[in-house]
Amino acid sequence: MAKVHEITVWARGVIMDKEGRDVINIFAEAAKMEGKHVQAFDNYEDLPDRVLVTVRKYVRLSDEEIEHKYVYGNDQPEVVVVIEATIVKGIDVLLGMKKGGTLIINTNRSIDSMLKFIPNANLLATIATVDADGITGVRTIDFSGSEGGVDTSGIGKGIAAPIVGAMAKVTGMIKKENLAKVVSDVSGMERGYKEVKIKKLG
Amino acid sequence: MAKELPGYGTINVPKERQVPFGAVTKAPVCTQQLFITSNWRVVRPVKDDEKCTRCLICYMSCPDACWIFKEEEDVMEWVSDFCKGCQICINECPSDALTAVPELDFPDGVVRLDKPF
Repeated sequence: MAKVHEITVWARGVIMDKEGRDVINIFAEAAKMEGKHVQAFDNYEDLPDRVLVTVRKYVRLSDEEIEHKYVYGNDQPEVVVVIEATIVKGIDVLLGMKKGGTLIINTNRSIDSMLKFIPNANLLATIATVDADGITGVRTIDFSGSEGGVDTSGIGKGIAAPIVGAMAKVTGMIKKENLAKVVSDVSGMERGYKEVKIKKLG
Repeated sequence: MAKELPGYGTINVPKERQVPFGAVTKAPVCTQQLFITSNWRVVRPVKDDEKCTRCLICYMSCPDACWIFKEEEDVMEWVSDFCKGCQICINECPSDALTAVPELDFPDGVVRLDKPF
């Protein structure tokens, strides 16, 4: 069985739920265009969505068919994306990660100030920050009650666009050209791709 | 009428008083350590003791009982473990003694958990 790349996205309930869902859907869709086998799904074990509660979204990529389709959770995430920077303070987002992982945080603070909040940062090979809130402005809030089934605002508007752009550059798992076909806000995605700050850790 | 309640001892229920269907329990005097919600918080309320008039409106409006009035010291105390950062107290404060400060400006104050909530 080929290696399965596990990506976990942390977001906050209700106010960033759509952003988190967009990130996993866009990332999986773009990887599918490159002929990869993908899975993307919301969490099934966290609290029900309440405002500000931490929620997880998962993506899995593989070159071959992914066999463990009934496991709703990434035990060993390779890439962790934090959509709201305060989450790193209150939760061990790197839980289960093997040495040499990647962490991407949406913040306008410096990488060093974020590392202070991560006691197990020795697991990381790469840490990156992207100021998605600064690039696209306000977040898109979707209270239509459609639970993602119908989405009139489009997939990949708001902070999801720069975050997937940053993910494409940092992880190298997907191409920017494929992302541009999926994302609504292409300019935001390209700014995220350009403006992401990457730091390699020893 | 004295009533024996397992785990609570004996409770005196007056004869003329109507007791709600269900149970009579003591008011909680401790915190629920299994449901710490400090990591829900993005901003925290920071109080200015000079402006605070001890009107207790924050105490009344907090949904999670995160403001306690310390009578001996005559100050309001904030309970960091359970404040979710809803900012109701900041909006309700009549003397603008509370301000919302980003949680990342402080080195501590959030209980770090392995899993969500």
